[in-house]
Amino acid sequence: MLLNQFLLLGAVLFCIGVYGVLVRRNGVMVLMSIELILNAVNINLVAFGTHLQQATGQAFALFVIPIAAAEVAVGLAIVLMIYRNRRSIDVDSLDEMKG
Amino acid sequence: MTFAASMLASVDHPPIDWHALAPELIVLGVLAIIILVDAFGGEDRKWAISSITSIGLLVAIVPVVTMAVDGAVRSMFDAAYVVDNYALLFKALFLVAGYIVVLLSTNYIAEGDYWEGEYYQLLLASILGMMIMASARDLIGIFVALETISIPAYMLAAWRKRESRSDEAGLKYYLMGVFASGVLLYGMSLLYGLTGSTRLVDIAAAVSGEAPALVIVAIVFTIVGFGFKVSAVPFHTWAPDVYEGAPTPVTAFVAVASKAAGFVALITVVLVAFPTQPEIFEPLIWALAAATMTVGNVIALRQTNMVRLLAYSGVAQAGYMLAPLAIAGHSATSAELATSAIATYLVIYMAMNLGAFGIVIAMARKTGSAELSSYGGMLNYAPALTVAMTIFVFSLAGIPFLAGWYGKLAVVLALVQPGTWFGYSMAIIVGVNSVIALGYYAKIARIMWIDPAPDGDTTRVRVPVSVASALVITAVLTVAIGVYPPLVDQFTGAESFLTLGF
Amino acid sequence: MPEAVLLGGEQTTTAVEWVVFIIAATTTLLGSFGVIMARNPVHAALSLVGSLFSVAVLFLNQGAEFLAAVQVIVYTGAIVILILFVLMLLGIDTEEDLEDEPLRGQMPVAVGIGVLLTASVFALTQLVGFDVVTGTPEVTAAIRDDMPNINQIGRLLFTDFVVATQLAGVMLTVAVVGAVVMARRPREYQPIPEPESMDAPLSLDPTDQGADNGAEVAD
Repeated sequence: MLLNQFLLLGAVLFCIGVYGVLVRRNGVMVLMSIELILNAVNINLVAFGTHLQQATGQAFALFVIPIAAAEVAVGLAIVLMIYRNRRSIDVDSLDEMKG
Repeated sequence: MTFAASMLASVDHPPIDWHALAPELIVLGVLAIIILVDAFGGEDRKWAISSITSIGLLVAIVPVVTMAVDGAVRSMFDAAYVVDNYALLFKALFLVAGYIVVLLSTNYIAEGDYWEGEYYQLLLASILGMMIMASARDLIGIFVALETISIPAYMLAAWRKRESRSDEAGLKYYLMGVFASGVLLYGMSLLYGLTGSTRLVDIAAAVSGEAPALVIVAIVFTIVGFGFKVSAVPFHTWAPDVYEGAPTPVTAFVAVASKAAGFVALITVVLVAFPTQPEIFEPLIWALAAATMTVGNVIALRQTNMVRLLAYSGVAQAGYMLAPLAIAGHSATSAELATSAIATYLVIYMAMNLGAFGIVIAMARKTGSAELSSYGGMLNYAPALTVAMTIFVFSLAGIPFLAGWYGKLAVVLALVQPGTWFGYSMAIIVGVNSVIALGYYAKIARIMWIDPAPDGDTTRVRVPVSVASALVITAVLTVAIGVYPPLVDQFTGAESFLTLGF
Repeated sequence: MPEAVLLGGEQTTTAVEWVVFIIAATTTLLGSFGVIMARNPVHAALSLVGSLFSVAVLFLNQGAEFLAAVQVIVYTGAIVILILFVLMLLGIDTEEDLEDEPLRGQMPVAVGIGVLLTASVFALTQLVGFDVVTGTPEVTAAIRDDMPNINQIGRLLFTDFVVATQLAGVMLTVAVVGAVVMARRPREYQPIPEPESMDAPLSLDPTDQGADNGAEVAD
C-alpha cells in the first residue's frame, strides 16, 4: 500500500485549502476551502490507518465527515442570514467593529 | 444464528461506569426535556424552559459531588475517558458557569424577541461538550467534544439575528473557529499516524525520546489549533469583535466557559501526551503567553467600549493562564504545580469575569450602551452595582484580598518553582503586565466613582432578580476565595490531580 | 516508496494501485486548484465535487470501502448540493474579482504562506520520511480480513468510541435546531432597503473607511 504519496497529497491539499481560506473573499468560497483542509485530514487518517493495519483511522475519518457536514450547514445558515441583512457575503465587508 | 447475530455476540462490550457518566446523562436528559417542552409546550410554556435548564444544571452537580466525596479515579475504554479530580473540578466549573449564564440570560432573552427555547438547547449542548471534554483522554473524544462546544457557540454569537453586528460576530467566530479546528485536526491526524493510537497515554509512550521532525509539526499544529480557542495572540483577532457583537450573556459564556474548555483540552493534551517533549512545547507556549498578555493589556489601555475592554482584558488573562504551561515540562512537580495554578486561576476567572459581564448586562438595561463613558456617575444611582463592579475589576487587576490576587500568586509560584531563567523571566513579564493592566482597571473604577453621569440621568437601575442573584454569587465567590484561598486550593491542590504522562 | 512497503510487512504495492493513485491524485489536485482559482462560485463548487469524488476513489484504493461510500453520499451528495442551493438561492453566483486586494499586500503574503507550507511539508516528507515513529498496532482494532470493513468500523464506534459517537449525535441534532433558527425569516420580516449598487456592501456607518466600498475599489 502507498503511504508517503498519500501523505504528500494530503499535505499539498492542506496547503491549497489554507491558501484558499486566506485569499477568497466570498464566505461560501472560504467554506469550500475549509472542506479541502478536512479532506486532507481524511486522506491522512485513511492512509495511516491502512498503513498501521487499524480500523481506528477510518473510524476517526468517519467522525470528521459528519462534523464537516454540520459545520457547513451552520455556516451556510449564518451566510444566508448575513445576506438577508446586508445583501453581501463578502467577508472583507465585515468591518463594522474596529478597535 | 444469523450472520448479524453472530457478529453482535462476538463484540466485547466495554464495561461502563454509569456513576461516572451520570452528570453528562442528566444534562442530556434535560436537553431532551426542553426540546420536547419547546416543541409541544406552546407559547405560554416558554418561561418554564429557563427554569428547567437552571434546575437541571444544579441537579447535574449532585453526582459530581458524590464522585468527589468518593475520590476514586474512574477510567473507562482503556483510559480514553477518565473521571479524576481534575475532570470533576472542571465539570463542576462548567455547570456553575452554565448556571450563572442561564441566570444572566433569562431576562435578556425573554425580553428581546429572541428564539428562546432554542437558545437554552444550544447552551446545554455546548455545556455537555465541555463536560465530556474534561474527561476525554483521546484525540477523537477531544475533537468531537470541541466541535460540540463550538458549533452551538457560533450560532449563539449570531443570536441577535436582526442586528448586523451580531451576524458579523457569528460569521467571524465561525470562520476562525472552523479554520482552527481544521488546523488542529491536521495536527491530530499526523499525531495518530506517527504514534499509532488516538489515546493520549499511548501517544505519550510513543513520542518519548528524540522527536522526529513530523512529531514537532504535529505538536505545533495541535497547540496552534487550541490557541485559537483560548484566544492567544496572534490568534485572538476574533475575540473583541465576537464579544462586542454577540448578545452579552453569550459573550460571558464564550469568554469564560468556552475559554476554560479550551484550556482544559490544552492542558490535557500537552501534559498527558507530550510531557516528554518540553523542548518543543515550552518555548512555543512561552512566546504565546508573553505575546498574549502584553498585546492584550496594551490594546486594552485604549479601549472606550466596556465589552471590548473586557475582551482584551480576557486576552491578557488568557496569557497569565498560559504562562505556567511554559515551565510545565521541567519535571513532574512543576507540571502538577502548573496544572493546579491554571485550574485555580480558571475558577477565580470564572467568578470575577462572569460578575463583570453581569454588571454590563444590568447597566445596559438602563443606559442601552456599553460605552465606558456611560458608566459615569454610577455611584450616585447604583451604589450596589458600583461596589460589585469595583470588586470584579480590582480582582481582575490582582489587588490583594480579592480572588484575582490569589490566582496571580499561584501562577507566579508555579513559575519560580523550577528555578530556571525560563520561569523567572515569565514571572517578571506577568508582574510587569499586572502593573500595565492596573491602568485600565483603575480607569473603570475612576469613571464609576468620580465622573458625573454623562446625561444627568440618575434614575435607579432596575436589576432583575435572576441577574442580581448571579451577581451575588459571583461577588461572594470573588471575595471569599480572596480572603480564604484554601476554599479553591483544597480542590486544585489535591494529590494526583491529573494523571500526568511522565 | 520502498520504506512504506517495507514497513507494512506483507503489504505490497501493485501496479494497479499506482495507476489509480496517480489518476485520482491528479484529479484531486486539479479539482482543488479549481476551487481556489475559479472566479465563478458555481464552477468552484463543481470543481469541489471533482476533488471530493477523487478522494473517494483514493479511499477505495486504500481499502476503505465504507468510507468511500460515505464520502460520495455525504460530501458530493449533501454538502456540495447544499452549497450550490445557497449559491443559487441567493443569486450570488457572480464572479468575484480576484485581482482586487482589500488589504494591500495580502495576496503576496497568502501566496508566500501557501508556497512555504507546501515546500516545508514536501521537504519534511522527502528528507525525513513518515516512517520514523511507528506504533505497535492495537490488537483490538486491527483490520481483519475475515470481516467486512463496515463491521469493523461499526464495532469500534459502539465500543471504544461510544461516548464520542453519542456526542456527535447530540451535536448533529443541535446543529440542525440552530441552523433552522438561523436560516428562518424573522417573525415580522422587513427587508432592508437595497443599496444602490448590488456589489457594494451595505455600510451602516457613514464614517466607515472605504476600502471595501465597490465604487472606490473601481478607481
